[in-house]
Amino acid sequence: MTLPTSLDEAVAALAAMPAAVPVAGGTDLMSAVNSGLLRPAALVGLGRISEIRGWQYADGNALLGACLTHARMGRSDFAALIPALAMAARAAGPPQIRNAGTLGGNIANAAPTGDALPVLAALEATVVLAGPDGTREIPVGHLTAGHDPLRPGELLAYVRAPLLHAPQTFLKATTRTGPGRATASVALVLDPARRGVRCAIGAVAPMPLRPLEAERWVSGLIDWDGSRALEPEACTAFGDYAAMSCIPDPAEGELPLALAHLRRTVAALARRALERALS
Amino acid sequence: MGTQMRGTAAPGRTPTSLSRRSRTKGGIGESTLRPDGTLKVIGEFAYSSDLWHEDMLWGFTLRSPHPHARITSIDISKALAQAGVHAVLTHDDLPTAHTQYGLEYTDTPVLADGVVRHHGEPVALVAADHPETARRAAAKIKVDYEPLPVVHDEASALADDAPILHPNRDDHHAGHVPHPNIVHRQPIIRGNAAEAAKRADVIVTGEYEVGMQDQAFLGPESGLAVPAEDGGIDLYIATQWLHSDLRQIAPVLGLPEEKVRMTLSGVGGAFGGREDLSMQIHACLLALRTGKPVKIVYNRFESFFGHVHRHPAKLWYEHGATKDGKITHMKCRIVLDGGAYASSSPAVVGNASSLSVGPYVVDDVEIEALALYTNNPPCGAMRGFGAVQACFAYESQMDKLAEKLGMDPVEFRQKNAMSQGAIMPTGQIVDSPAPVAELLRLIKAMPLPPEKQWETARGAADVRALPGGLSNTTHGEGVVRGVGYAVGIKNVGFSEGFDDYSTARVQLQVIGGEPVATVHTAMAEVGQGGITVNAQIARTELGVTQVVIHPADTQVGSAGSTSASRQTYMTGGAVKNACEAIREKVLETGRRKFGTYHPAWATAELLLEDGKVVTDSDEPLADLVDVLGDEVIDIELQWRHRPTEAFDPVTGQGFGHVQYSFAAHRAVVEVDTELGLVKVIELACAQDVGKALNPLSVKGQIHGATVQGLGLAVMEEIIVAKDAKVCNPSFTDYLIPTILDTPAIPVEVLELADEHAPYGLRGIGEAPTLSSTPAVVAAIRAATGLPLVRVPVRPEHITGT
Repeated sequence: MTLPTSLDEAVAALAAMPAAVPVAGGTDLMSAVNSGLLRPAALVGLGRISEIRGWQYADGNALLGACLTHARMGRSDFAALIPALAMAARAAGPPQIRNAGTLGGNIANAAPTGDALPVLAALEATVVLAGPDGTREIPVGHLTAGHDPLRPGELLAYVRAPLLHAPQTFLKATTRTGPGRATASVALVLDPARRGVRCAIGAVAPMPLRPLEAERWVSGLIDWDGSRALEPEACTAFGDYAAMSCIPDPAEGELPLALAHLRRTVAALARRALERALS
Repeated sequence: MGTQMRGTAAPGRTPTSLSRRSRTKGGIGESTLRPDGTLKVIGEFAYSSDLWHEDMLWGFTLRSPHPHARITSIDISKALAQAGVHAVLTHDDLPTAHTQYGLEYTDTPVLADGVVRHHGEPVALVAADHPETARRAAAKIKVDYEPLPVVHDEASALADDAPILHPNRDDHHAGHVPHPNIVHRQPIIRGNAAEAAKRADVIVTGEYEVGMQDQAFLGPESGLAVPAEDGGIDLYIATQWLHSDLRQIAPVLGLPEEKVRMTLSGVGGAFGGREDLSMQIHACLLALRTGKPVKIVYNRFESFFGHVHRHPAKLWYEHGATKDGKITHMKCRIVLDGGAYASSSPAVVGNASSLSVGPYVVDDVEIEALALYTNNPPCGAMRGFGAVQACFAYESQMDKLAEKLGMDPVEFRQKNAMSQGAIMPTGQIVDSPAPVAELLRLIKAMPLPPEKQWETARGAADVRALPGGLSNTTHGEGVVRGVGYAVGIKNVGFSEGFDDYSTARVQLQVIGGEPVATVHTAMAEVGQGGITVNAQIARTELGVTQVVIHPADTQVGSAGSTSASRQTYMTGGAVKNACEAIREKVLETGRRKFGTYHPAWATAELLLEDGKVVTDSDEPLADLVDVLGDEVIDIELQWRHRPTEAFDPVTGQGFGHVQYSFAAHRAVVEVDTELGLVKVIELACAQDVGKALNPLSVKGQIHGATVQGLGLAVMEEIIVAKDAKVCNPSFTDYLIPTILDTPAIPVEVLELADEHAPYGLRGIGEAPTLSSTPAVVAAIRAATGLPLVRVPVRPEHITGT
């Protein structure tokens, strides 16, 4: 285990030991170790790299350090910047998990139920990767989907997210009152500058899904210069449209009951997300 | 010199009713605080998983990945060859011909004997110098399995070509079961249900299903076995019943019982799940083989395979009633899935059948309950023990009947409620208070939580009070409230003729100028608060403040199980009984020493209070310190509740139960009808406790039982696939209620004494588990209008998709 104190040191340590696994909060990694699923040859601890534990402004965007904890993102000053990410962070787990678990870990782990992931998808955020040959920037989804995986010695350093200055929502379905694993989640952001509603559905597929047609349709209905209000029927239709595009009918036969329930859940969540964002 | 008496209790000793409240501080009726409470909250309590010994080895269990298979070969050579491994054991290495154990039937192999009958059955053991080494070595054991056809439900268990899971049964029920895959079947026939049905104006039938609940105790199975120089073994263990473990362990090890010395270690909850053995024999075998102390600790995953679960059940019911709301008859059939081994299934069947009517007067009944052998995980004891499943079904039926009759569900129940003197379907007369109608009245009279209780003063929604909670799912959208009621009946103590007793050894002596009582029992403190209560009883009976509770071990006689709501009744009763014998000795000594100085020694009724011998008119006669002097009074006595008898195998008639316990609940829920999410916001409970020895503990038991019932209603289920494999052995996938899921639980307690019980007390720990579940489901039905015949209720049952 090495404990570098700067990004450069961390990258150098990873480059020197390609089999080493970077660890931040350890909330996913250590449970995999404890249950015998993972036996990392070496660990590079990221906890002492202060440059990636906070955030900064950069050209109308926020540059979020990969080691920002869920607890930090859940605080009200952060919620004023990126409300949906704060809401997702607050629902991500119990306090012990939120105090340790990080934004970068949520992305690197790429669990289908990762709560930050649909928010980042709706925000169209990017990740800044630091490697031995310098940095590069790619959409979050390219990394999580494995299109463009981390290269040897490369480290997830920052997330670049736009500051939209408009309502955002995140909600998920769990059968617990406390934070629980989502059966489905919805992140929805308004982008008044681009006159768009962007929405991503989490937990129903290996990665967040964007109902692009539903977004375009509903964006066209909204009076962006006026009250932004929509009729309830339009919100319902948006929910159904989004749900249908994420969980389409099978080519043949009936939709299995479990999926029908999931679709209904997504429709209700998406409708409520839009209603709340527009209210 | 001490006087020591060992042996059985004087026959027919009736509990002495205290004519007035004792003045000794910390006696019964006070909420003295439990010594383990703060330690547990701050994380400093030492559980059995914290045990440590110099030079100890770690044991690990290799388990079957198949629910039913023949083992064709086991190759342990690679595991044995690994550095750090001290022993690898399979069935062939067992030291004696006694290779099976079991609570009621001796049918469970210590290690699989050529056949595995459920997913997760122990096949081999490894001892190594590090747990990780043991785990890796176990992975190197090569077991060849030949899968066998799987029995997973009633149809596959009783089919003509069904594999017989235990072909050579020699248990006491084997002779009268209709099929060898039926563990036990108990019919109960009373009156004439067919004839009575003719009087019914309405008849209501229903089929209900209860999922497999887990005890989900937080401290996983663990213990430490230390080999002793005399060839015996010292076992430090978390269990519910030391002597029952001992009876099963010793013959397998080939040791006499006195060479297996057991000491209770810190128990992290039990709820029935520690009544069966788990790693006890395994750790002892490894310790005896290696000559070194061996510790075994299950992790959460293994714990789901390491203990029995609550029986899943299918229940068919028919009730009839007249137009004016009187129940005419009841017929039911209850099928419990016992899984691969018997565990306590026979007794669970006895409970399910004898309590299947609920706390109602129904004279004409036709009842059948049975448990199956299948290849599903073994099921056995869990809080509520057969009464939980039945209560969900009969309370669902009560609501259905009331609705069909157009009656208020509470009034309908009250109209049919039993009271003292009522006759159970077994013919047993309920001979102590049974305030069923009153309990229902109490919960109905409590104020309801305000509408839209989630709205805060500032107008924002408190999501914690809404379905979906912190997930921010609803701020009130789609939310509908429902209210539901239920009441239940639970037996207390071991039934059906079981010789149920407890033992207490009490010493009284002067230490440092103060009289001190030492109470030694083998009662397992599993979190119920028994040690607190035992100390309170000793203070009350002996009038001393200082009471030392000796650690529970097998150096004293059996206390019986910490289950069946029985320990305060039984071990409390045994402590009281031993203290009374001590008191007689004290007074005898006092009369001898001081009798000539005061006539009251001979004439008055004498008590021990505040460290003194006093008369019943409060005149102090002598200090205990002076009476005792150097004498140590030391008495060990067994104590029994009144005897019960077995149910007739054909008619089910018999004085089967010791005592009954009653609780009622009102549930208030908010249901997100669009997402199918439920938030229980209040679960009001009323219970008759006979006498609250420790009111705070009583309330704690009621709260805990209520929440466990809530878990069964909407969250907790071990999912077993059709191929009999366990799908969700983790707390990520098996949901138990957390404090955020726990609603307000206002409690009303009645104290109507049962004259047969010590202090008139009633066993209380289980009854609220029963009624909580059907009350919650009734409330969800009220909110949604859906029939909901299965627990736990899942979101898809509510959204109808």
